[in-house]
Amino acid sequence: MELRYFVLRRVLLLIPTLAGLLILVFALFMSLPHSLLELSLFPGIPHNAALEEAQGAQILGLPYTLNGVYHPGLPLPLQFGKYVVRLFQGNWGYMTVPIYSGSVIGAITTFFPNTAQLVIIASILAIVISIPLGTFIGARPNTISDHVGRIFTFIGYAIPAFVLGTFLLAIFSKGGIIPIFPSANAFSASAIPNPPPSWMLSSGDLFITSPTHIVLVDSLLHGDLGLAWNTLMHTILPVLTLTYGLLAGIMRFIRAGMVDSARQEYVKTARSEGVPERIVIREHIRRNALIPTITVMGLIIASLLGGVVVVEEVFSYPGMGLLTVQAAVQTQVYGVLGTTLVFGLILVLANLIVDVIYALIDPRIRY
Amino acid sequence: MESPNLEKTMIQRKKHPKLQDYRFTLKLLGKNRLAAAGGVIVLVYFAIAVLDYVDPQYLQPYLNYILSGGSQAFYVPLGPGLSNGWAYIFGETEYNMPIFPYILAALKVDLTYTVFIVGSGALIGVVLGTISGYYGGYLDEVVMRITDIFFSVPTLVLALAIIFALQASSLLDIVYALIIIWWPTYARISRGQALSLKSMKYVEASTASGSSGLRNVFVHLMPNVLSPVMVQLSLDLGSVVGVFATLVFIGFMHLPNPYIPELGNIIVIGESEFTAVGAWWAVLFPGIFLFIFVIAVNLLGDGLRDVLDPKLRR
Repeated sequence: MELRYFVLRRVLLLIPTLAGLLILVFALFMSLPHSLLELSLFPGIPHNAALEEAQGAQILGLPYTLNGVYHPGLPLPLQFGKYVVRLFQGNWGYMTVPIYSGSVIGAITTFFPNTAQLVIIASILAIVISIPLGTFIGARPNTISDHVGRIFTFIGYAIPAFVLGTFLLAIFSKGGIIPIFPSANAFSASAIPNPPPSWMLSSGDLFITSPTHIVLVDSLLHGDLGLAWNTLMHTILPVLTLTYGLLAGIMRFIRAGMVDSARQEYVKTARSEGVPERIVIREHIRRNALIPTITVMGLIIASLLGGVVVVEEVFSYPGMGLLTVQAAVQTQVYGVLGTTLVFGLILVLANLIVDVIYALIDPRIRY
Repeated sequence: MESPNLEKTMIQRKKHPKLQDYRFTLKLLGKNRLAAAGGVIVLVYFAIAVLDYVDPQYLQPYLNYILSGGSQAFYVPLGPGLSNGWAYIFGETEYNMPIFPYILAALKVDLTYTVFIVGSGALIGVVLGTISGYYGGYLDEVVMRITDIFFSVPTLVLALAIIFALQASSLLDIVYALIIIWWPTYARISRGQALSLKSMKYVEASTASGSSGLRNVFVHLMPNVLSPVMVQLSLDLGSVVGVFATLVFIGFMHLPNPYIPELGNIIVIGESEFTAVGAWWAVLFPGIFLFIFVIAVNLLGDGLRDVLDPKLRR
């Protein structure tokens, strides 16, 4: 099969997966008690059908009415259909949590870039560190450096993110032994110039930067080094916590793959042909060791996304994870459903990318 | 004259083949030192967890204390409980609660729930997975698509959402949520195993001699599905303890509750003091207990994988 057909087939397979995801979220939605649904639709207004919808929209200052958000009395499949239509219309409901108040879509567009910043930096760091280190220890099984590397990996694998995070926070943030890092938020409000420049949209105490919405990138693009440094300092501790777990997960598989593929016949052949050891390790062993690692990448990404929730909660970092937790704690139905859906979408897309990369690297699986 | 006796002893010595197999497995596991160490640590943890069920006099004074909400003047009662020195070996928390017995009580709660989660998850998953692998067709398709749905959301996020949907008010609700999340892993493993087993000659032979489908599933397939499930089960003990503690940590972070002995909750209680006055012990020691258990379970699981794999065996 050609690669593009493989990709096409894989993309088409997204449809049932996404349908499943929607059904799951809808099932969660339907299993909630009615009183809760009504409560979070119209905060502060007693329940009374049509009048409320108009009033609710007016009070919340919404661009459209809440008409059709919740349909008690309709048959389930119809309700599901209306729910899906509503999602595509961008009407995901409303939420009020300490870090945000307004539409769920707005919350996601505000906080998703912060999470992306954490996840991207942590992934790059983990890959940059784990591949050379995994190669190094995998090429020398059962030596001192291998044992040290394995212990390092095992600790990262076994230490729960919230324990590590709590420790880093208590030691390195304000009031700790070495207070060099700030303790909450994605950047300090004091680091933002007054009045805010034109590339920063502000609403209340929330800021959205353009063009990428990722503060670190945007501030660098516009040459605001002070804000970039401030953001970086806020990011370091959460990123370190995330990276360690991620790194350990990847390194474990690279090492196992290295040890496994070093035993293969083609490695012996390469060595007997006089290929330099450095090239044998790099080209013959490592390339094949990375394949099993890529197969488990989907699971690793899933645990990374779970880790984001914990890390953001521990460091009070305003991202999707903190939003999810706060929505759950404050019983914001639409907040919980929206963030769950977004996390699901990210994971589904990540799995798609992993599969395509896998097909690119290993032509065997396309046939 | 001697021969009947000899025959008798020989018959006695010849144990059931399954039993011999288990003994052989244990012997192999003992040879793998890391796995054996992991196994011993796991056993010690479970011994602590079971202790209170067997003889409540050791931990009960502390549990009563925790449940009563603590008091300023708390002295360990004399008698069979831990002595004062031992009880305070890891210091005390904000609520004047000695940490060591608090941890022991928490291990009981954590491990009981973890075993319950993993056990129920494995039971549901193995039964559903084996049946769907054996019968195939629409049933298989439906079960596998359902498991796909569960794998399309990160575990922790899904757990939070389900806990929310259940309107969780106690630890037991977290347990139910985790059971809902954990069975698909086992369903997938046992389905794959059942698929490869069902075309084996011994299953065909049993069908030919009149076994019903369900008999095949429960008598012939399930025992052979269990060995990869055992490996996953032992590894999952570690991840479930971690996820459970994490969920409790997240859930109680906004509302510390000293009445609940649970490792994640002890860390929540410890955290505020850690950041306020640098009292690291209430975070470190429960963390270490959690950490050691996860490591031990992983060592045991890795060892079990090597031992139970028929290709690597012998």
